[in-house]
Amino acid sequence: MAEQTSLGDGPPSHRRRPAPRPPRGPNDIYVNTKTDFRAQLSRCRRLLESGEQKELRVHGLGLAIGRAINLALQLQLALPDTLLLSASTSTVELTDDMEPEGGEDGEPGTRNRNNSAIHIRVYRAHEE
Amino acid sequence: MSTAKEKKYAKRMRNQPSSVNLDPNDGPSPRGGRGFHQPYRGSNPGSSNQQQRGGKGEEGSSESQPIPKYVTATVFAEARAAEIKAMLKAVSQKSSNTLVFQSLPRHMRRRAMGHTIKRLPRRLREMAKKEMEKTVHQKKEQSKSKCRKARRRHGNLQLEFNRRQKKTIWLETHIWHTKRYHMLKKWGYNLADRPTMKSYRACYRAMSNHCLLQDLSYYCCVELLGKEEDLLRALARLCNVDTGPTFMAAPCISGKRQGSLVLYRADKYPGEALGHVTFIWKPRSVSETADDKRQLWMWMHPALKEGVLKELRLVCVCEDKPDNFVCVPEPAPTPPKEEPPASVIVTGRKRKWRSKGEKAVPVKKIIGDGTRPIPDPYYWTSTQTGITIRDLTMEIVRYRLVGPMSNCVLSDALHVAPLHKETEDSGPHSWWADYCRDPDNVLRHGNQESLFKLLKGLDTPAMIPSGTVLGLTVGDPRLNLPNKRTKSYPNPESYEDRDKVKSITQAGVPMECTQSLIWSSQVRSHVTDKKVSEQEINKLKSELLVPGSKLELGNKESKIPILLIQQPGKITGNGRIGWGSGWDICLPKGWGMAFWIPLIYRGVRVGGLQQGLQHYQYMGAPYVPGDFPDTPAGVQSALEAKANLLEKYTRRPPAKRTNFIKHGVLSPFHCPWDQLTREWEMLEAIGKEPPKDELQIEKTGEDPLDEEKRTEPSPAEEKTLEEESAGGERDFSVLRSKKILKILSAAVSPVPQRSKKPSQSHPEELSRILGPVLKDFPRSLAWVRLSMMTKGSPELHSMICIPSEEDYLQLQKDKSFQGPVETKHGDHFKNKVLKQKKERKKEKKNRKTKPNGDKNDKVEEASGGDDLTLGVWPSPLPEVTSHCSRKLLGYVTHGDFSLAVGFGEALGFVSVTGLAHMLPFQPPDKTGLVLIRNPTSFQYRFAKLTIEV
Repeated sequence: MAEQTSLGDGPPSHRRRPAPRPPRGPNDIYVNTKTDFRAQLSRCRRLLESGEQKELRVHGLGLAIGRAINLALQLQLALPDTLLLSASTSTVELTDDMEPEGGEDGEPGTRNRNNSAIHIRVYRAHEE
Repeated sequence: MSTAKEKKYAKRMRNQPSSVNLDPNDGPSPRGGRGFHQPYRGSNPGSSNQQQRGGKGEEGSSESQPIPKYVTATVFAEARAAEIKAMLKAVSQKSSNTLVFQSLPRHMRRRAMGHTIKRLPRRLREMAKKEMEKTVHQKKEQSKSKCRKARRRHGNLQLEFNRRQKKTIWLETHIWHTKRYHMLKKWGYNLADRPTMKSYRACYRAMSNHCLLQDLSYYCCVELLGKEEDLLRALARLCNVDTGPTFMAAPCISGKRQGSLVLYRADKYPGEALGHVTFIWKPRSVSETADDKRQLWMWMHPALKEGVLKELRLVCVCEDKPDNFVCVPEPAPTPPKEEPPASVIVTGRKRKWRSKGEKAVPVKKIIGDGTRPIPDPYYWTSTQTGITIRDLTMEIVRYRLVGPMSNCVLSDALHVAPLHKETEDSGPHSWWADYCRDPDNVLRHGNQESLFKLLKGLDTPAMIPSGTVLGLTVGDPRLNLPNKRTKSYPNPESYEDRDKVKSITQAGVPMECTQSLIWSSQVRSHVTDKKVSEQEINKLKSELLVPGSKLELGNKESKIPILLIQQPGKITGNGRIGWGSGWDICLPKGWGMAFWIPLIYRGVRVGGLQQGLQHYQYMGAPYVPGDFPDTPAGVQSALEAKANLLEKYTRRPPAKRTNFIKHGVLSPFHCPWDQLTREWEMLEAIGKEPPKDELQIEKTGEDPLDEEKRTEPSPAEEKTLEEESAGGERDFSVLRSKKILKILSAAVSPVPQRSKKPSQSHPEELSRILGPVLKDFPRSLAWVRLSMMTKGSPELHSMICIPSEEDYLQLQKDKSFQGPVETKHGDHFKNKVLKQKKERKKEKKNRKTKPNGDKNDKVEEASGGDDLTLGVWPSPLPEVTSHCSRKLLGYVTHGDFSLAVGFGEALGFVSVTGLAHMLPFQPPDKTGLVLIRNPTSFQYRFAKLTIEV
């Protein structure tokens, strides 16, 4: 899951919850910003080349969108003329916990944020 | 060298027959097989030559010696006879000190050869018999009055189990664990430490991908009953708002959330901590008014229980005399096998042993009220405040599920109890019938059911508000047990109700759904009594018309009130938020195994204490009780750990151990927090001037202001020093104030190089911020997380040190700079140790009564009376901070290679004063950089220090 880079400061009283994580199959690749890019790429290539997976779904959230696109394009470059891409975008709802600062009486609220996500389908051309 | 060789040779030849003896000094003969003919050379050289020809005539090398013309038959035969005799002797006598069956080749070995002589080849039986007799004498007489079959009979086995539980308490899953785990006697319990199979990595995977189950029933629950304001007033003395939300935090007091905090001795904050507890308030029911009594459960580690209970009695003004002395009027001391009816499982078991004159089949011992030894108090009431304290240890079973799939596992393993049907016969569960009569309750039960079903739609437990409590009544989980062990995975179809899921993730569980009948002790005991035994369930299952179909019991099905408590997982720091989140289940006692097996059948992995430790380590949370060095329990556990490590160390031969003195490691087995903080305080007090001068050199601007600020705290500190020295020892404390920790956390995070402006005012700003902190807490420790910059994996009790100027420079020059290397220290204790050893030997020889030589007296005193150990510094340590080339800042309490990030990570404590001393001198882009050195190594390595709030 795409982890956001920490903002560090900001209003100190909120805490992020992990982004929702729908059930994933072996062909769902969630791109993050922490893992080495080459490792992610080689993982995808291995999946594609093994022949078990006919298509990959590359997901990226927030800051990882660029990486996800890059990953998909690199895959296409590596296996030219065989792979097709089709991208779609969506909005993911994220939740933050607001912590009452200092006081005991505050009800800890939650805050919703929206973040953009991209889902790229990478599939073999001849199967279309 | 030669003497050693000779000795070895002599040992090998010890049991060799003399006639085939080989003289090692004899020159090598030109032929092979010298062992054979040498004995004859002295007595009969002629025959020896002949023998050579006879034995190895084909060999071409015999040409060097002339072939003998004749062989004397008698001499030849005599020589052969002697040889055969020697060989026979060698065969019949074994040369090593192994047992007979051990000398057999592997393919001839059979199981249990050591015990059953008949399994050995016949030729060896004679010898084995002798050996057996010898060992039988050595062995202790084992009372095996009964044969194994008799011993394993249910009744006798139960008797034996009950006997073995007298010393340490067993959890309900004990027998299950003993078959699969290394057990440990700790805190009065017999606990599972780690699995016997290799599963370190598998357990980590279970925690991060599937689900790990732990039995936490050894955690103690203390119940407080009283009016809300009375309770809050009493408890407010034990905690402080600075450390986070307390007992009166709004979400907790309503009963919606579980709270957690660190307790302190009454009015002693920030010193004298007691330990970490979690608590839940019983939610107010609708009819309840403010005057009604409220119920609070406090869960704590058994190591803290005594201290916390004592302090609770103090703040609640309860007499030390427990009430159960009064309310239990002189009961005859009941032997543990005769249970009071409260904890008996009534079953319809076969009683075929009764006819033999035995009494009844002893029932399984369920720890709790009934089996508690009478002198142990567990119930106190205050006459002044009306608060009742009750020790509910072992009354409630608590399991912990860790991992993203714990939702799934829970919803697969448990099913919500069906409502009581009036049409059928009422069954044994009258409490459930009563409960279902009220339409409000039915409605609430329905709500709880729908909420529980929603849980399956959640991806991880971390998605709902932390500490959420959900009450529930479930049916018997043994009824929908799968035939085979399966692994539960989320069902994509349950992802439809996104809106409802959204409501639960945001608002949490509504108030009414947190109600559970587990809070009532009557219902609990009723549920425990009316448990249908495993045997009966199996019998009913076997009588089903369609084998394998679901057993429908209707109203007879047991209903168990449970409590589900969400555990938030990793909530501090930046990375991997929500890692290790999960659910805790609380059950009434007696139902442990009935829930355990269904959970196991859903593919969870089970962990012991080690896995619990690992879980806390990856979450970056302090582990109870080891990581609370300012609590009595923490001190106790540190002492135990030290004794253990020292014992392990001394077991190794001296030449094979690390000489910690030479490594410059003063305390390889413990962390001298007290000394560390005291030294830093002194250093700061004395060394006020030099750092200031350096600062002046560094920046010439704003000097007077800076000076003012720097000099301001010092007199105050000196005052506190004086106060302390006057008031005697004041212990160090761990800094837990959220506000200050946040400041520190911001201070240690490096400033990016791009932003030049804040970095300039950095040291000065720091001193302004940290000044008052240091004034208030001159001797405090801060919980830090360290991640290695390059390679290396930190170990337990590794030293966290301050890098010197040149280290920064070298790192600047060479990015792959590993770190400085400590020079070897001299061991001037070695001679003393050796001398002491020699003297002791002499003493032993002479059988003198005088205990020690004059020279050693001093050493003996220095080491506190006990022996000097080679390689470990004796007890009064010299200055710990400046013993090595880099200044010591703190110690690592958990260090390991982190499977989550792929390099070494550590958790530990550093002195706050030391930290404040270090920060101003660090280059802005290297703020928070420290050195870590393992006790067994000379190499310092760079690590990044972060404080997570």
